[in-house]
Amino acid sequence: MMDFSLTKEQQELISSVKNMASKEITPFALQAGETEKKKMLKSLARMNLLCPTVPKEFGGLGLGLVSSALVVEELAAASPGLAAIVAATLHAAEPIILAGNDQQKNEFLPLLTGREAGAAAFALTEPEGGSDLNIISTYATAEQTGYLLNGCKDYVINAGIARFITVVAATDMLNKKASLRIFLIPGHAAGLKTEEIYQTSGINLAPVGQVKFVDVGIRDQYVIKSREAGSGYLLLTQTFDVGRALVSALAVGIARAALEHALHFAENRLQSGIPIKKHQAVAFTLADMATKIEMARLMTWKACWLIDQGEDYSVASAMAKLVSSTVAQQVTCAAADILGARGYLQGNLIEQLVRDARVLSTIEGTNHIQRLVISSQL
Amino acid sequence: MSFRDIGIKIQAAREEKGFSQEQLARLVGCSQSALSNYEKGKRRLYLSQLEKIAEILDKPLEYFVASLSSQHHSQPVADRNQRFVTIVNHLSRLTDEEINEVMEYIDYLEWRRSGGHK
Repeated sequence: MMDFSLTKEQQELISSVKNMASKEITPFALQAGETEKKKMLKSLARMNLLCPTVPKEFGGLGLGLVSSALVVEELAAASPGLAAIVAATLHAAEPIILAGNDQQKNEFLPLLTGREAGAAAFALTEPEGGSDLNIISTYATAEQTGYLLNGCKDYVINAGIARFITVVAATDMLNKKASLRIFLIPGHAAGLKTEEIYQTSGINLAPVGQVKFVDVGIRDQYVIKSREAGSGYLLLTQTFDVGRALVSALAVGIARAALEHALHFAENRLQSGIPIKKHQAVAFTLADMATKIEMARLMTWKACWLIDQGEDYSVASAMAKLVSSTVAQQVTCAAADILGARGYLQGNLIEQLVRDARVLSTIEGTNHIQRLVISSQL
Repeated sequence: MSFRDIGIKIQAAREEKGFSQEQLARLVGCSQSALSNYEKGKRRLYLSQLEKIAEILDKPLEYFVASLSSQHHSQPVADRNQRFVTIVNHLSRLTDEEINEVMEYIDYLEWRRSGGHK
C-alpha cells in the first residue's frame, strides 16, 4: 500500500510553521543580525520547534522524521541558516534519543525543548583529517570515573551557542574506528573553548566554528553506551543516516524558495509586453525546477518514512541527500538565470540562496561519500 | 574496519555456534537475504540489530567491530594512549631537524617490520 497524503496533524503543523515564518522569519531573514536571530530562535522555542523529535515525556513534540522533515523544509524556505540550526540540533539529539539512558535523556533533551530551549551541536569533523574516522585525533583517555577529552573539532554548526555538544572521539589510538565513543559535553564545561566563528558564504544565521577540548573531564554517565565497547561506530553511522535525510529536507526548502521567487518574478516581469513565464524557454526551466523539487521531496519523504518505520534507510537517506543537494544547487542557479542581473546582486534572495545551497553537497558527508555509501550496498 | 569486516565476523560467529543463515535470521527477526547481506557487508547494520546478533551468538559487541590488527596489541588501551600523549609532548619540543631524524627512525622501524621488503 502506498499513501502520499499528509495527515491532518501534519497539515496543521505545516500551516502553523508557515504562518509563523511568514510573520517572524521571512521578513527579517536576509538582513538578520544577532538581535533578529535571537528573536527567531525565540519564535522557534515558543513553538517548540528547535528539536521536534524529542519525545513528549522530555518536553518535546515527539514528532517522527517525516513530520520533522516537513518542519525543516518550511524553515529552510524561510531561512536556510535557521533551518541549519534546527537540523544540527536534531543531529546532536539523535544519538541520545536512539541509545541514551534515562539519565542522559532527562538531563540533555529538555535543554532543547520549551520556551527556554537552546540549540545543540554535533562535532565530528577535524581540522586535519576532516570526517575520516580512521584518522580521527580527538581522543578520550579513560580515567577512574570517566574520561579526559582532548582535541579539536572544526566546522561545528551551532558552535558557541550550543547548550551541549555531542562529540565523537576515539578511546584507543591504535584502533580508532572500533573504539569510537559519543560524548555529551555541556556547553559550559571547563576546558571547552570556541576558538573561532567563521564568516561563511551561506547559511549565515547558523554559527559555524572551531571548538577545542583541553582536558575536558567527562563523567561516565555523559558517555552514550559507556559500558558497551564497539557501540560508537554503529551509532554514529546510524546518526549520519538520519542527519542526511534532514539535510535533504533542508535542500528541498531552499530549492522551493528559489522556485517560488523565480516564479513570482517570471509572472510579473514583462518582455515584449508579456510576462516572461509565457516564453517557452522560461516556462520549461520553471517546469524542470518544479519537477526536480518534487523528485527530491519524494525521496526525502521516503527516507524519513523508512526511518519512522524502523526499516533499513541507509541507502534511501544517502540517495535523498545526494539528489536533493544537487537539485537545490541546480534550481537556485536556474532561478538566478531567470532573474538575470538582479539575481547577482547582494541582498537579492536568489543570490543568497545560491550561496546557501552550495554547502549542501559538503555537509553531512560530501556527495562523493553518499555515492560510496550507496555503491557499497548495491 | 568496515561493514564487510563486521559481516565476516558475524558469519564466523554464526558458524562457530552451528547456526545456518536461516536459523540465525529467524532468531534475529530478519529475512535470510537480509542476514546474507549483513554478512557480505552489503547492508548496513544498526546498533540495535548488532546488539541482538551479539546476544544470540554469545559474543561481546566489541568482537564484531574490533579490527583484526587490534588483537596484536598487548598493552592496555589507557597505557598506550598515555604513552602516545607523552611521545607527542616530546615531539613538540624538538627542532625540525630532530623531527626529521625521528621520521627516519620510524621509516627504519617500518622497513624492519616488513622484513626489509619495503
